Amino acid sequence: MGNVLPPVTALLPVLLLAFTGLALLLVDTVRPDARSNTSSAVAAALGSLVALAATVWLTVTGVGSADAGGAVLLFADAIKVDTMALFFTAIFASVTSLVVVAAHDYFHDHADPAAFYSLVVFAATGMALLAVSNSLAVVFVALEMVSLPSYVLVAFFKKNRGSVEAGMKYFLVGALSSAIFLFGISLVYAATGSLILSDVGDAMGSLDGLVGIAGLGIVMIVGGVAFKTASVPFHFWAPEAYEGAPAPVSAFLSSASKAAGFVVAFRLFTEAFPVGASLAADINWVLAFGVLAAVTMTLGNFAAAVQEEVKRMLAYSSIGHAGYALIGVAALSADGSGNGAVMGAAMAHLLVYGFMNTGAFLFVAMAERWGVGRTFQDYAGLARRAPVASTAMAVFMFSLAGLPPFAGFFSKYFLFMGAIDNGFVWLAALGAVNSVISLYYYSRVVKALFIDDPESSSSLDAVDVRPTALYAAVVFAAVATVLLLPGFGPVIETAEAAASALF
Amino acid sequence: MVPVEWYLLLAVGLFCIGLFGVLTRRDALYFLMSIELMMNAANINFVAFALYYGDLTGQVFALFVIALAAAEVAIGIGIILVLYRNFGVTDVTVPTEMRW
Repeated sequence: MGNVLPPVTALLPVLLLAFTGLALLLVDTVRPDARSNTSSAVAAALGSLVALAATVWLTVTGVGSADAGGAVLLFADAIKVDTMALFFTAIFASVTSLVVVAAHDYFHDHADPAAFYSLVVFAATGMALLAVSNSLAVVFVALEMVSLPSYVLVAFFKKNRGSVEAGMKYFLVGALSSAIFLFGISLVYAATGSLILSDVGDAMGSLDGLVGIAGLGIVMIVGGVAFKTASVPFHFWAPEAYEGAPAPVSAFLSSASKAAGFVVAFRLFTEAFPVGASLAADINWVLAFGVLAAVTMTLGNFAAAVQEEVKRMLAYSSIGHAGYALIGVAALSADGSGNGAVMGAAMAHLLVYGFMNTGAFLFVAMAERWGVGRTFQDYAGLARRAPVASTAMAVFMFSLAGLPPFAGFFSKYFLFMGAIDNGFVWLAALGAVNSVISLYYYSRVVKALFIDDPESSSSLDAVDVRPTALYAAVVFAAVATVLLLPGFGPVIETAEAAASALF
Repeated sequence: MVPVEWYLLLAVGLFCIGLFGVLTRRDALYFLMSIELMMNAANINFVAFALYYGDLTGQVFALFVIALAAAEVAIGIGIILVLYRNFGVTDVTVPTEMRW
């Protein structure tokens, strides 16, 4: 393809998202009085769908793959488009389009919804840029480009005390972690003299007396990654932010923003701090990630099991899933032949998770739109009035739990098998035990929806409101979750090929 | 020329002062100032080691960071403003609608 089109074509998804965000902002500035909810939602959805189509087209034509001449390097090596970047961009664009479609009904009576759509698309642009960044400078700029709109999105209901409190807490933890991340980058720069990831990776082999500085920098960078992926020790913002934020924003943050954190982790810890050179220099970040993964999944699942509110339960469950995906970096080894397999499985898990978790949060958005309440009891009997949406929710819950006939089972299976093949049996065993625990609280939702009786016959009358776009988004996420079952073969092959190219 | 280790010590000291402020101050505005200190500590590192290694990457990135820090403060002030409007305080320990 490099022969026919200029190499910058590989950046098409990022550029499309950026232009969509700017166009939304422009229209909102020129015509601020227009009731622009529908047109903004349509424009944002179209923009993200076109970006998704461009990503799929680039993947199909083989841009960045080894057959087509390897990764496309742009802007003095600061940008690198490879198959992993395209894979993650597909996740971001899918989640973004689902969220903006659902937001159309959620913000039906909001005074100024256009700002919401442009902020979501700008955050998605930052995520897509994060996926292609090949320099610590671009990583930090893109990370801030994701974070800054996210803070505003969480606090989007300016007069809702819960939303504002959640936004404040998210901002405080986020600003602190990005300062720590930045100082980590500065220490790595001090030790290696470069910001380009591959040059940093080369310099890791000859650190001499600067191992301490580089090691401290890497620990701080791990902290920044832990914040973005909502992992221990920077996880405690997640339940607050997800609970207080508007539900479509919770869906966006817990699926797309988390995947963005993982693309940074995968990129940095394969290229800038390769596992072999790091272990040779006595910087054992593999062990650090192993401990983080173990603590994160255990804490997330146990805390989720004791929640009374569905949204808060989903928030803790998303912490648990961050723990599973962390296995993708925690189960690497210096001579591991299965490194590509386990990281590819983590990528496939994030794709499946992107659909099922977004769908689950969008169901919560629908419940908020109906006004039926937030606890498990409030959801009792919903299946009688809304059978389609409840069935979709049941699909999400069983898939999140990893029950055999659902896509969530396959991604977890490949993840745990990859960990075992690479010699990390304890991580796989812990993950399996946690999956069993998670079945308890996921099935509570299904039990409430289908088996429990509603508290009174009138409590379900609110369900007669039919938010079409929200319905469409939830059903589409469910269809995608089910279709990933027969389609899992190509997904895992693409992911493993993309991950193997990194080592 | 001042040895580069001294710049590193200065940066680490500044970073620790900022971190101390973050951990002890309850007012959101002091929190923002402390974050600024931490980011500028990183900037000192970038500029000092750009000189040490003789390449401009670090200096240019320091300029990027200054712009990003300003953007972050703008967002932060906005959030602190709505916080003040809803709760009447800028003390971050007061709003407890949700349990931690």
